[in-house]
Amino acid sequence: MLYFITDLLVLGCINSIMVVGLNLQYGYTGLLNFAFYTYVAIGAYIAAVTTIGPSTVTGVTWVLGWTLPWWVGIILGGIAASLLGALVFAFTVRRLRSDYLAIVTVSVAFIFWNAINTYIPLFDGGTGLFNVPYITGNAAISSEQYSGIMVLLSAAILALFVWTSRRLFRSPFGRLLRATREDEVVTNAFGRPSWQPQLWVFMIGCFMAGVAGGLFIFYITAWSPYAFLPLESFILLAALIVGGSGNYWGSLLGAFVLIEGLAELSRFIPSFGNGADVGAIRAIIIGAVLIVVLRYRPEGLIPERWLHWYSEAPSGLGARIRAIGRSG
Amino acid sequence: MQPGHRARLQDPAAPAINQFLLAVGFGLATASVVALAAVAVSLQVSVTNFINFAYGDFMTFGAYIAWTVAQRGVNFFVAIAIGGVATGLLGVIANILVFRPFMRRRVRPVTLLIVGVGLSFIVQNGITVIWGAEPVRFQQTLGDAMHLGPFLLTPGDLLMIGASIALLVLLHMMLTYTKFGKALRATSNNADLAEACGIDSERVISITWFIAGILTAVAGVGLVLQESTLDPTTGFTELFVIFGAVILGGIGRPYGAMLGALVVGILTEVSGAYVNAAYKGSIAFGVVILLLLFRPQGIFTTAGKMG
Repeated sequence: MLYFITDLLVLGCINSIMVVGLNLQYGYTGLLNFAFYTYVAIGAYIAAVTTIGPSTVTGVTWVLGWTLPWWVGIILGGIAASLLGALVFAFTVRRLRSDYLAIVTVSVAFIFWNAINTYIPLFDGGTGLFNVPYITGNAAISSEQYSGIMVLLSAAILALFVWTSRRLFRSPFGRLLRATREDEVVTNAFGRPSWQPQLWVFMIGCFMAGVAGGLFIFYITAWSPYAFLPLESFILLAALIVGGSGNYWGSLLGAFVLIEGLAELSRFIPSFGNGADVGAIRAIIIGAVLIVVLRYRPEGLIPERWLHWYSEAPSGLGARIRAIGRSG
Repeated sequence: MQPGHRARLQDPAAPAINQFLLAVGFGLATASVVALAAVAVSLQVSVTNFINFAYGDFMTFGAYIAWTVAQRGVNFFVAIAIGGVATGLLGVIANILVFRPFMRRRVRPVTLLIVGVGLSFIVQNGITVIWGAEPVRFQQTLGDAMHLGPFLLTPGDLLMIGASIALLVLLHMMLTYTKFGKALRATSNNADLAEACGIDSERVISITWFIAGILTAVAGVGLVLQESTLDPTTGFTELFVIFGAVILGGIGRPYGAMLGALVVGILTEVSGAYVNAAYKGSIAFGVVILLLLFRPQGIFTTAGKMG
């Protein structure tokens, strides 16, 4: 029973880290990134290949094969993910309207998925990495004890990231981001650049994705292309929107209730037909909840409180400034 | 996960130019399928101005209906027609129940895109629940592959190319000469103005969803005939190839989408003849990305949405 709870908490915390990172991108800056799970995967792979050493099994191959400490691996995974994010951002985000951007991010996700799945020397192709050792090293501990350790670690990292994103949100930098999200033209008119802050926050979001990936692979000890199908990014986005984008409590609620809660609930759905049905019904519920929430409560279950006063004054101000711009 | 991985015949001993022409022939067959779906997407975007993420799953749905009906011994072409009508109705229902309430509120295109993702979840997994996740074999043997000039095509390919051309000509006549076609073009051009002129734009949008659904289902069947298997993700993986064609032709321009499909179809098949076939799918996505970066307005841009 205790194992059931700790296992749930670890996965919940890791998913929450991802949603908090996605919230930085979508909630704070309005960048719709359907490739988010690709960064999680990069983080997971890099964290593994920099720590587990070279392959000893013939036919199983991966790059690097370093033997760094596990925490360096996780940080390197985060850095790799954020560098990749910066690269993608530089090429796409600055140029595209939001819905086209979404299509490009899905295409990016497909290309990376395809490349990792096909090119075996990189991360062992479709078989993926497995038997990744526990972060506790050679000390023999049961999976119950290990999940207890991982709860503490992932909860601590989650707390750190929530605190960071909260600081970001309240800082002048966060105000600038939200201003850009609401109206880029007005922000530029005030002499504020719009894309550098977006790039920074995009990279921080990808860093969190990479760290979550590192924690994930050290917890479940395996990773393969089937762990990051494009579907996963959509589920994270659904969790964020249902929970309430733009604030961290919504992110946590979405991650725990929509992802973990439904995964646990679906154990109680009686299995009929074939085994795939339970997962399918879960996805149908997620889709339906997503549509219903967008329809009746577009701000999510926990709204961004700050929006209440914002919708009054500055948008009128923005309209006036643009009117001045037109008349001038 | 890889779109358009078809088992194609290849003759390593043949001269390079023949290989190239063979690939062009396969490209034509692929293009005919992509064209139908791309025109459907473009037609719908032209009147509603948002991209429906669930189109791939509509394709899968149409193919499954046609497969189910064909399994009962019904004539193959009747089965396709039934699949088309069913998918058309699915489009209309999706529009009325899901998209219309959002469109009335005039939400941002991004919101509609996310709504489409939710709908895609529901349709794709609904298919899994009804028909199961295991791939089913869907083949229609119409005869052996034959040489036509430099090309090597199966009668199924030829049938698909013919059907695609026929449907697109029919669509062109409808857009150009009927009253409904005029209403559709007016709505596409400016929905508010069309409404002010007494056009019931919501009705036009509903009928457009129906027509787009029929085209999508025929494209779905064509796709499955080329790959000979069908599973709940078949359409979704092809969706981004279709988006490539739509974007290439200029979003919301059905005629551009036809040309876009031709380019995308031939490009993916020809490149597939020269690089590792596993990367073929990535080429289509690469094209989408490059296009969106450098020509987001499409390659063949003309004045007016319906160019």
